[in-house]
Amino acid sequence: METLNCRSVIENPCTMCMPMGGILPFKGVAQSMVILHGSQGCATYMRRHIAEHFNEPIDVASSSLNEKGTVYGGEKNLKSGLDNLLKLYNPSLIGVLTTCLAETIGEDTDMITAQYLQERGLTDFPIVTVPTPGYGGSDFEGYWLAAKRIISALACKTKKHGKINVIIPNISPADIREIKRILLLMKTDFTLFPDFSDTLDSAFVRPYQKIPNGGTEKDDISAMPGAAATVQLSLTVTDTNSPGIYLEREFGIPLYNLPIPTGIGNTDLFINALKEITGAEIPPVLHQERGRLLDCMIDSHKYNFAGRSVIFGDPELVYAVTKTCIENGIFPVVVATGGKASNLKRLLQPHLVECPIETQILSETDFAQIRVKSMETGANIAIGHSDGRYLTEKEGIPLVRIGFPIHDRVGGQRLLSVGYTGTAIFLDRLTNTLLENKYKNYRRSMYEKHYQEKKAGERHGLQQFL
Amino acid sequence: MGVNEKNIDAILEAYPAKVKRNRKKHILIKDSTQGRQELEANTRTIPGIITNRGCAYAGCKGVVLGPIKDIVHITHGPIGCGYYSWLTRRNKAATPEDGKNYMTYCVSTDMQESDIVFGGEKKLTRMIDDVVEIFKPNAITVSATCPVGLIGDDINAVAKAAQEKHGLPVLSFNCEGYKGVSQSAGHHIANNGVMEHIVGQGDLTEAPAKYSINLLGEYNIGGDGWEIHRFLKDIGYHVISVLTGDGSYETIKNAHVADLNLVQCHRSINYIADMLEKKYGTPWLKVNFIGVQSTIDSLRNMALYFGDEELIRRTEEVIAREVARIEPIMEQYKKICQGKTAFCFVGGSRGHHYQGLFAELGIETVLAGYEFAHRDDYEGREVIPDIKPDADSKNIPDLNVEPDRKFFKLKISPEKAEELKKTIPLGDYKGLIAEMNDGHLITDDLNHYETEELIKLLKPDIFASGIKDKFIPQKMGIPSKQIHSYDYSGPYAGFNGAVKFAEDIAMGFVSPTWNFISPPWKDKPLLEGSIQKEGH
Repeated sequence: METLNCRSVIENPCTMCMPMGGILPFKGVAQSMVILHGSQGCATYMRRHIAEHFNEPIDVASSSLNEKGTVYGGEKNLKSGLDNLLKLYNPSLIGVLTTCLAETIGEDTDMITAQYLQERGLTDFPIVTVPTPGYGGSDFEGYWLAAKRIISALACKTKKHGKINVIIPNISPADIREIKRILLLMKTDFTLFPDFSDTLDSAFVRPYQKIPNGGTEKDDISAMPGAAATVQLSLTVTDTNSPGIYLEREFGIPLYNLPIPTGIGNTDLFINALKEITGAEIPPVLHQERGRLLDCMIDSHKYNFAGRSVIFGDPELVYAVTKTCIENGIFPVVVATGGKASNLKRLLQPHLVECPIETQILSETDFAQIRVKSMETGANIAIGHSDGRYLTEKEGIPLVRIGFPIHDRVGGQRLLSVGYTGTAIFLDRLTNTLLENKYKNYRRSMYEKHYQEKKAGERHGLQQFL
Repeated sequence: MGVNEKNIDAILEAYPAKVKRNRKKHILIKDSTQGRQELEANTRTIPGIITNRGCAYAGCKGVVLGPIKDIVHITHGPIGCGYYSWLTRRNKAATPEDGKNYMTYCVSTDMQESDIVFGGEKKLTRMIDDVVEIFKPNAITVSATCPVGLIGDDINAVAKAAQEKHGLPVLSFNCEGYKGVSQSAGHHIANNGVMEHIVGQGDLTEAPAKYSINLLGEYNIGGDGWEIHRFLKDIGYHVISVLTGDGSYETIKNAHVADLNLVQCHRSINYIADMLEKKYGTPWLKVNFIGVQSTIDSLRNMALYFGDEELIRRTEEVIAREVARIEPIMEQYKKICQGKTAFCFVGGSRGHHYQGLFAELGIETVLAGYEFAHRDDYEGREVIPDIKPDADSKNIPDLNVEPDRKFFKLKISPEKAEELKKTIPLGDYKGLIAEMNDGHLITDDLNHYETEELIKLLKPDIFASGIKDKFIPQKMGIPSKQIHSYDYSGPYAGFNGAVKFAEDIAMGFVSPTWNFISPPWKDKPLLEGSIQKEGH
């Protein structure tokens, strides 16, 4: 099965579909709800997968279109869905995402929702539509398009206020909280979006909240055009889907487009940008955290150098993790993403020249390919979301879980991997996985090395007594 | 704890009037004085309500076809649907001797925008070629997702051509997500295809052993089917095939020679059970292997069907042995669980099946219901003639089967069947409502809002449902049990399963975790003592 080159089969996908990604930024807006226009199975499947990653109730509605809707259009269903959603949840914003079904039959959600608001006399109520057919791209594209559409729907020309916009990719709630902590340490006044650090990792509180507290306030998003600068943590997003470029082109907000601050170099870029924008001094505590990370890197470098990594998943995360691996000598042999990620190769190239080994970069790939390449290149550590467990099951390559989704372990929402401290924690996870694998195989490999070879001829050591 | 119509009305009050009227028909309070109570089911989901229902594709590929292990199941469509149905139901499968087990694979045509515009038939054809070359499976299925039917891809023609080309069964299923009102439509579509193209393809003409049976509607989640298999084999039954947990094309193709079909999940498989009877003359018996007493009853009914003294004796022997072994363990857990109450809202059979097991632990089910069941699953099969077909159910055609010329054989005489029907559920299912005690709630297609409100109203001690709704009760401080995929535990069926379930449920109650919800400063001071006043 490994010999096939030209493939039309996607075997064990390394990506999900567009509306899945589109739901997440809405979960980062305060008191918002999402409805998927299409078959109810889409909402059910996606809720199931998001819930299992975050261990939270994920309320996503559906217009529950059926055969009749495919013939006569889904307008009636969408409108009554909006009625019910408003009545039961009383949200302050609703996202309307399309699906394969709605797009294929040509539903005009902009028109339907505009008409709906008119009919109900709710013209001030924000409904944000996002065209997210499953065939239109991966969850990565869905995420960024939704983020951009939310901003472009809410943003108003605002008086300059000196805050900075911080635009967040699909990272864990723990990562978002760490970024907020760093922003506060840097004495930055900021609007962070989308902020699902509380909504998708909510505390146990009584009474139960139908829509969990937290998320970026609608008014703060509206005021993003008044900011002094935008810091967007995504190098891999396309210009058309980039909220940061939108704010720059429409409102002239200077854009600092940076990678996820995982890894010492990436975190330096982030801190340096904040310093540049705000002119604030870097506080001693951050210097100390950087020092501790360095200490961690030095302590671990001799173990890490034995690592040969296969890195896969969301292109933005893949970029940051790859850089972190290069910094630490865990040289990447395979870097893979299921989506298109057209610029990933170009972005990684300057860093890969530092590697003493060849790196295979795969895009639009699946786990069947990743597995083949991993074996060919001798990968000994896999880094990515939980679907990589097949690399462990089939080939014995241990997996360090990071990103979305993580379904076979708890705590995906609590994985911390950004900033100096987060990087150190992440790096420890990598090093310890390498060490664990080494200890697990130590006796066997020593036996094979020192005794097995001599079996045929002269007997040495213990074996002569056997 | 009583619940009355007023309580229900108060909850439904939050809905727009039309929705309220609709939802009221899907909720009832059991009252045995009223005779047969009607409950609306299998009707369209209300848009915008956070339902737990899935789609036809989920029921077809995800539930019924997916577990058949020696078939490669191709999802024809964009990547999401295949991805989301990738091993999510925890159907376990043992690799057979020929090594053909494709359970861990997710295979999709990953349709892109250009495929939607220009059609995906060529891509599908190429893909089937590749799958044959890569895997050499015993058969291939192709399941359609929403866009396929809309753009007019003729998957049936593609499958037929591929079957001829490769000399290997290639089955196509028009299970586009928008068909029907829930995954139930997909079960029906899958049943038709399996019946038409797999069952009867084998060349056996006679049952290969005494007491040959098929187990229908058992999906081997968490190994349930293996536990059932253990004691069935011990008693002396020969299981020809299981539909479909740990099932295979190779075994299902000979399902027609069995002496009896057992039906575990009535909703998802009753179509095949009926068709097997018409086409091959094999009756079906409703069984329930969840709970100790239900398992015992099912085993005794099976023995009565065969009416063989030796089989009856052996059945009693195995029951006595198993009960003696597990009873003392169950007693321990019962002490923890006694007097508690449960919500049990699952799928299309488990909402009923688990009530007996809960009762054995001393837990009363105060609310039960199904996501996607039909009226007969609630009210019993006697209601079937009264169910009016609507536009949605008519869209899923019934497969009309005739007695098979080659294989039809009455397994028991009509007279004997009639006689047996007086004592055992042969070809019959009494439904969930009959199981419930008066005053308790039955809800169809429960949604998130109602879940939350009903928990507040009835304050159950445990909530048994699925992953989408389990975090609501947990956030309210109430333990939950996933009855879809068992929270990575199981098996829960049969004798050993009952013990495992009892252990898991008891653990839910006694876990020290719950003790920390109220911080010490809320109830009493951390330090005992008094502050001395100055000068004393």
